[in-house]
Amino acid sequence: MCPTDFAVSLRGVTKHFLQWQRDNTGKGLVRNLLRPEKRSIMALDDVSFSIEKGEFVAYAGPNGAGKSTTMKLLSGMLLPTLGEISVLGVSPKKNRRALMNHMGVLFGNRTELWWDHPLIQSLEWKKVVWDIPEDVYRKNLETVTELLELKELLKTFARELSLGQRMRADLAMLLLHSPELILLDEPTLGLDVVAKRQMIDFLKRINRDNGVTIVVTSHDMDDLEEMAQRVLMISKGKIAYDGGFNGLRDITGNLTRVTVTMEDESMPELLHARLLSSQNRAHEFEIDLEGTSVKELMRHLSNLDGISDVEIKKAPIEEIIARLYREWR
Amino acid sequence: MDKYRRIGISRVLGLLGISAKLDLVWLLRDTRYAIAGIIADVIANLSIVSSVFFIAVRFGGIGSMNSDEVLFMMAYSTMTTGIFMLFGAGNNIHISRIIGRGQLEHLFIQPLPLGTQLATSGFMPFTSGSNFVIGIALLVVAVARLGVEVSLPWILSLLLYQLVTMVTIVARAYLVSSMAFYSPVGAEEISHYAINGTWLLSTFPLSGMPAAIQYSLVTILPEGLMAWFPALCLLGRPPLGLGEYYPMLYAVILSIIAGIIFRKGMKHYVTKGSNRYVPYGFRR
Repeated sequence: MCPTDFAVSLRGVTKHFLQWQRDNTGKGLVRNLLRPEKRSIMALDDVSFSIEKGEFVAYAGPNGAGKSTTMKLLSGMLLPTLGEISVLGVSPKKNRRALMNHMGVLFGNRTELWWDHPLIQSLEWKKVVWDIPEDVYRKNLETVTELLELKELLKTFARELSLGQRMRADLAMLLLHSPELILLDEPTLGLDVVAKRQMIDFLKRINRDNGVTIVVTSHDMDDLEEMAQRVLMISKGKIAYDGGFNGLRDITGNLTRVTVTMEDESMPELLHARLLSSQNRAHEFEIDLEGTSVKELMRHLSNLDGISDVEIKKAPIEEIIARLYREWR
Repeated sequence: MDKYRRIGISRVLGLLGISAKLDLVWLLRDTRYAIAGIIADVIANLSIVSSVFFIAVRFGGIGSMNSDEVLFMMAYSTMTTGIFMLFGAGNNIHISRIIGRGQLEHLFIQPLPLGTQLATSGFMPFTSGSNFVIGIALLVVAVARLGVEVSLPWILSLLLYQLVTMVTIVARAYLVSSMAFYSPVGAEEISHYAINGTWLLSTFPLSGMPAAIQYSLVTILPEGLMAWFPALCLLGRPPLGLGEYYPMLYAVILSIIAGIIFRKGMKHYVTKGSNRYVPYGFRR
């Protein structure tokens, strides 16, 4: 497959920044005037990956790992120090204008809405600036208004929308020109459970029904696991993992959570298990299934006396990630 | 992927149209406050030009310019201010604010050349057009008092000088704004200071001032080219022996320098990125 067949393709991309360093001592201030101290930051280090059209990919990593830098490189806001980037078959550097007719970018902490105008005014502005044909605009407006439940908000000033409403409105605006690829940087940032739910359902739907390629970053790994089929993990500017979420669990060992509730105050003893918590006779263990099989575990549990309930579940992805982040530090 | 389409006149008019519509709906929605703002603008600008005019009336002119010629120059200046406010209401001329606040990225995601976006996004004819209208009214009065023969070539000359003055203003704003690429915090407001800080000097008739001041203000700083020099050219008396094409030459040279330096700054921005994003003041 050549780069033009992919929605996104990065080959050997390196992005390097210089960061000014200053201290507050008198000597430091003078030295800064004469010879400013600069520190080299490697935001991306020889990164290569591809995303096929129609994929829903989570792009995750700890703070400062290079997620936002990657998003900006993909949308032509930044240029790489080295390497090649192809988005929808073209270079974002050389074809920014053409690319922006086919892709959409949304940063969770920014808005493209006109702050002192009703939402519908921003949508009309987008129609003119993107030169969206009337029929396409009407159809997309109808769709996003319905799916994102915006009908009641069209006449509301952007400045008066809640954060969740504003994110939905920004997402609606993003989709008016029928983008084939959308890049979302922290779209669920600060949203409550209901707003997050709406956002996730909507993104899954447009990916499934319209084949829109979606790349999303978030710190909420549970959200990402629910949305995306594939996760790209970045650490210290390098791709540390590329695959499914279950594969991530395999990296840190096949960890499983077992909660055993006893009829009395006794403490059950499980092999290859680590006690995490005990509360109201319920004892939660972490078990590495690399050391013992489910069959063995079940046999062992069935031989224990005084058990009133057993619950077995996968380790939360958040903890898997936290463990990985700690290892990467 | 399809090639992007050329930006034709109809597209530019469409973009100006949506900016004008946003301005109109704002005026109609918050009419009282919008009118208060318009009146404040008019009073502020009339105060500047009328103070100079009153001095000219009191002392029978300034330098070699009589009071009617001073009025003509004030009319020219008010029209320039009017055009500036007509097209530059959204920080698109005071571009150091957009650069310094790390907001260029909002422009990068639009499928338009940056030049087109910047030329059309600040168009506010309804709430910012009053100074332009007053400038025309003052011009009509001054022309009538001076007995200037208003012919088509003279009107075309007036339009050309206004265009040249605006090019000089924008080129200077973009030239100084380029500092914000390298020092976003320190230079965020530099365009505002560079233009508005010297606005009073732009409306002062330099006739009668020492030659060193006159030459300085049409070379090192362009304040003399904002109204004094073009007004005298339009009255058929180009000053300083520099010729009536001098403002055009200055505008072209300044634009080329500003273009080169701004592009260099832009390259710095997309290479180094901006680590200072400010969420306010991006729209207007």
